[in-house]
Amino acid sequence: MDATSLGIKLDGVSAIFRHARRGDVTAVRDLQLDIHPGEFLTLLGASGCGKTTVLRMIGGFQKPSAGRVFFGSRDVTKQAANRRDVGFVFQNYALFPHLSVFENVAYGLRVKRLPADEIRLRVEDGLQQVGLAGLSDRMISELSGGQQQRVALARAIVIQPRVLLFDEPLSNLDAQLRVQMRSEIRRLQKELKITAVYVTHDQEEAMAISDRIAIMNAGRIDQIGTAEQLYRRPVSPFVATFLGEANLVRCRIVDVAMDLLTLGIADARWSISTHARGLVGAEVEAVVRPEAIRLSEPQRGFPGQVVSSSYLGSKIEYLVRLGDQMLKVVQSDPTFGARFAEGAEVEVTLPHVGVQLLGEAVHQSP
Amino acid sequence: MHAKEVEGNGVRLPLTIDRRSVVIGAVAAPFLLRGASAAEAIRAYSIWPENYARPMLEAFEKATGIHVNFVRFSSGEALARLIAEKGNPQVDVLFGGPVETFTAGEDQGIFEAYTPPSAADLPRRFKSEKGMWTAIADDPLVFMTNTKFLEEHKLKPPASWQDLLDPAYKGQLQMADARTSGTAVTRIFSILQVNNRNEDAAFAYMKKLRQNIQVYTKSGGGGTVPVGLGQAGGGIFFIVDALFTRQKGYDVQISFPEEGIGSAAECIALVKGNKNTTEAKKLIDWATSPDMQSQLAPAKINFLPAHPKVAPDPTLAAILKGANIIEIDDKWAGENRKRIVDRWVAEVLNAG
Amino acid sequence: MSIAFHERRRFALPDRVARQGGLLLIWLLLLLFVVYPLAMLLQRAVLDDGGLSLGTLIGALKSSSNLRALRNSLELAGLVGVAGTTIGFVFAFTVERLRLGRTLRWLIDRSTFLPLISPPFTTSIAIVFSFGPRGLITHDLLGLQNVKVYGLASTFAAETLTYFPIAYLALRPMLASISNSLEEASFSLGASRWRVFHTVTLPLAMPGLANAFLLLFGCSLADFATPLILAGSDFPVLPTEAYLQITGMFDLRSGAILSLLLLVPAGLVFLAQEWLVAGRSYTTVTGKASAISSRNSASGIAAGCLLLFCAVTCGVIVYFYALLFYASIVQAFGANHTLTLDHYRIIFSEGLPAIKDTMIIALVGMPLGGLYGIAVGYLVGRGKFVGRKAMELVSMLNYALPGTIVGIAYLVAFNDKPLALTGTATILIACYVFRYSPTGIRTTIALLQQIDRSMEEASASLGAGGYYTFRHVMLPLIMPAFFAGLGVVFIRSMTAISATIFLVSINWTLITVKILENMTEVALGPAAAFSVFVIAVVLVVTELLNRALSYLTAPSLRISRIGT
Repeated sequence: MDATSLGIKLDGVSAIFRHARRGDVTAVRDLQLDIHPGEFLTLLGASGCGKTTVLRMIGGFQKPSAGRVFFGSRDVTKQAANRRDVGFVFQNYALFPHLSVFENVAYGLRVKRLPADEIRLRVEDGLQQVGLAGLSDRMISELSGGQQQRVALARAIVIQPRVLLFDEPLSNLDAQLRVQMRSEIRRLQKELKITAVYVTHDQEEAMAISDRIAIMNAGRIDQIGTAEQLYRRPVSPFVATFLGEANLVRCRIVDVAMDLLTLGIADARWSISTHARGLVGAEVEAVVRPEAIRLSEPQRGFPGQVVSSSYLGSKIEYLVRLGDQMLKVVQSDPTFGARFAEGAEVEVTLPHVGVQLLGEAVHQSP
Repeated sequence: MHAKEVEGNGVRLPLTIDRRSVVIGAVAAPFLLRGASAAEAIRAYSIWPENYARPMLEAFEKATGIHVNFVRFSSGEALARLIAEKGNPQVDVLFGGPVETFTAGEDQGIFEAYTPPSAADLPRRFKSEKGMWTAIADDPLVFMTNTKFLEEHKLKPPASWQDLLDPAYKGQLQMADARTSGTAVTRIFSILQVNNRNEDAAFAYMKKLRQNIQVYTKSGGGGTVPVGLGQAGGGIFFIVDALFTRQKGYDVQISFPEEGIGSAAECIALVKGNKNTTEAKKLIDWATSPDMQSQLAPAKINFLPAHPKVAPDPTLAAILKGANIIEIDDKWAGENRKRIVDRWVAEVLNAG
Repeated sequence: MSIAFHERRRFALPDRVARQGGLLLIWLLLLLFVVYPLAMLLQRAVLDDGGLSLGTLIGALKSSSNLRALRNSLELAGLVGVAGTTIGFVFAFTVERLRLGRTLRWLIDRSTFLPLISPPFTTSIAIVFSFGPRGLITHDLLGLQNVKVYGLASTFAAETLTYFPIAYLALRPMLASISNSLEEASFSLGASRWRVFHTVTLPLAMPGLANAFLLLFGCSLADFATPLILAGSDFPVLPTEAYLQITGMFDLRSGAILSLLLLVPAGLVFLAQEWLVAGRSYTTVTGKASAISSRNSASGIAAGCLLLFCAVTCGVIVYFYALLFYASIVQAFGANHTLTLDHYRIIFSEGLPAIKDTMIIALVGMPLGGLYGIAVGYLVGRGKFVGRKAMELVSMLNYALPGTIVGIAYLVAFNDKPLALTGTATILIACYVFRYSPTGIRTTIALLQQIDRSMEEASASLGAGGYYTFRHVMLPLIMPAFFAGLGVVFIRSMTAISATIFLVSINWTLITVKILENMTEVALGPAAAFSVFVIAVVLVVTELLNRALSYLTAPSLRISRIGT
């Protein structure tokens, strides 16, 4: 086990792809990223956002058009992929079809010309760690998808790389397997204490296993932080709606006080406790999570009308009209709470705390 | 490096770095071996077909111990090669072949002058003025027809050039293509001679003859077997090929046109730039003398010997009795060969 | 990293140097053996001892006999293209869409394979003896008199029978890849089988049919051997005319000009094929091999007709080869039918030098061609460098051009200094390698397209340099292409004639040239014996290659190397 994990730094990195006919495409724009040693960082975003390109730049398969890449204090920008000592797990596994499981896992060790005994030891150890002991003689085509994924994992870790890179490794597996595999990956990474960069578009996956998540959008990192930070304090509508569900409630700042802000939605007033500051009269968007909205019998609060209601077993999802806006509301524990039919008038209770404000006129404070 | 380390793959590759030297060695071997040629050997292009050249050249080897490495080409091909190889000659001797090829070659400067001792005994027509080539045999042209075909069409063996124009022969004649075969060139010059070198008259005849042609063959003797088999009714060939057909057992008739038909001397020459001069000259000496030519008849090779001291085979002589063999001016033929053949290609060959 | 290990690399060459060195070498070879000869040919045709002399060139272009030859060539090629593609399509359709019994399938496989590996003249011999004026069929069987066997009809028939297997092999995978569900959908909508065929199958097959037509058109255009025997004097075609000009008239210049005339249609065909094929994905030879076809796209009379047609065609092919074999064991076909082994005796005694020479050349050229094929295929298929497309085109040139052109070009280019190669084996081997390795190149490229790049990236991420990746990952995966290259170069070295007939010499001769010699002397026995020998050798070697390939890639046969 290596005691010294490695941090990774991307400094002003850009990637521009030139197409003869279609013109240039900027996949990654002036990216700044500091990955802490031993951390599990996920690059999360929709397809085309540039996350895979960033990963490949770290791995050495893509040359940055600008900027530099550091492993620790060493500038590896110009270093070839086969010298970077990274373990790369591919989306399609990229296992060698003509080699057995054993030989696939042993590949990197043979490249290093390690003695046969040591190779055997490490391979068997690696296979054991991923739970495939005893399958060394099989050919790749004889394995299931999940097993292949584990071989790919074993192959990447036996070479004891300084960095582990994952390119959407679980996207080809079924849901149940995905959940199982992701925790295994996380467990292994923690055990081996290797810095890992993980790319996925699945936000639940990202939130479940990462130390930090970087949300990417159109070649840039919109926000980086822990899952909770991103969920509770998204800095942009994109981040807010990408991670979990969010209502972006359009309102005006009506009054600003010490820790209190009063917002106006149509004629109604809504006070929230927040450190954010803004000018009175400014238009803002308030991020309100569906589970934070309470519905009750109409009284004096916000008047809303249920547009649709879906019973989902563990929860009920409502679409409620508030003024000229549509709100998504999720109510768990339907056995105990009140149930509302479509068309019913309800009172909408918006939360008082934990509301993130977004907008140009808003100043967040830490 | 650990002794037990293996280059482990699931697959055995056909070539590893270690075996590479073996492969290189194996590849190089044939070339290295090929380089060591026999100490005493000549290389020759033979215009005579294998079945005539081989027995004679083997006899030469038996007599002198010199091996002849030869490749057979038809006269046009041999000439073409020698001209193409002028800068880098590949052979020492041009063996056999009609004289018109040799006069053409002489014009192209591909031979080296050498006069063998026997040349003194030979008439003017059998040697080149400048000593560039010497005759080793004589070969008259004949008409050859399939007996059954004649019977079916109630024809007599053709005794005149005009007989071949008979409509019964339509699509039934096979003879050589002048672009590749000396037989054809001799034939054309015979027709010219018969017409007193009136080219227009001669070409008019040949155009008419064209209508009866089934196919012009690449080599002089190419039509003999089809005529023998009855696939063609008849053709014009050198007597050596015609008689060979008969010897093989095919039922054919040999006849001569009363107007006359030509004969081509078969020659030998020393190639310019040859590498095995002494041995090559020995071959020329031997072939132009009775040493070789007396062996023709016993080997059933039906050339007329060129050397006056060798008597022709009686059967051969009997067939030729009464035949009108006319002389063709070889010098004139050599000078005009290309022009006449070109004209034949344009006017006769493509008239079909 | 604190683990101690030996990092000894056997190759001290950095990746980049090795790669660029390889690139340079390939370019050098291409320039020397593809570009230089063609340039020399052009020069010979266009320049005279003085300078640019277009007069002769233009005269030749206007000459009526040349134009006639050109017209004939195009006409013949067009007919063969259409007929061959049709027959090939019928066969492909029958095999892919009908339920076939084991026997018929075996018969079709075998009889379509034979023409592909045969030396030249095999069909010509059979046709002359079956359909000639005294032919077995025309005269003996049907009593027809004086049938004209030399000319367009028989050349057309011979070439169609010789080349249709190429169309068949090209159309089969294409038909196989047309999805079942398309035809089934049409069928379920109530269309009759015929309607399904001409509204779904045929339109989808169009690109494949066009490609097959172009393939056959090119083959016929370049065919030198068959017209030499069968076209006769009434139907001159360009390759044969060029050959006769050179070998008969010692007119290298006219021959060169004639081959240039041939260059134009050949070049157009090549470009058309490139355009057709560009951007389409390839399905390679290792497709699904279903023992019995599960589709049933024609029934009753239609199916019966198709099967009958195929059976009859196969029967004709078998008959021709039986005739060939028979001719090799009788004294004098047509006259003396006593059985004899004389001809075989002759080919192994007098013909032994030719046999030895041909085998040496074929066996040396085979690995060279195979290696060159995958090297170029890999560079073109995976490399990123300036001039990649140019390299691909240049490497295909000698293959795309008719053999006569290539042969004459080599003769012209390598006859004198600086590189006098005539008379050596090198010129013959070089001719074969650079002319026939494009099959290996194309197959390599196609295979590479199917190998995801992540395979190489994975290898790189595990620390392997370019060469290591190539040897341990790519090479095993493109092994089939290597063997395909081996096979083609070997087969062609044994059976080709149109290029190398100009290159034989006193030192090195070829079996195919010997066959031609025998054919022109109408010494049928030895010609047939040689042909049978060539076919036998090719069958044996291709079988060995197939076995070797399946051995090298069968997982169950690999030796476990754990801890040994």
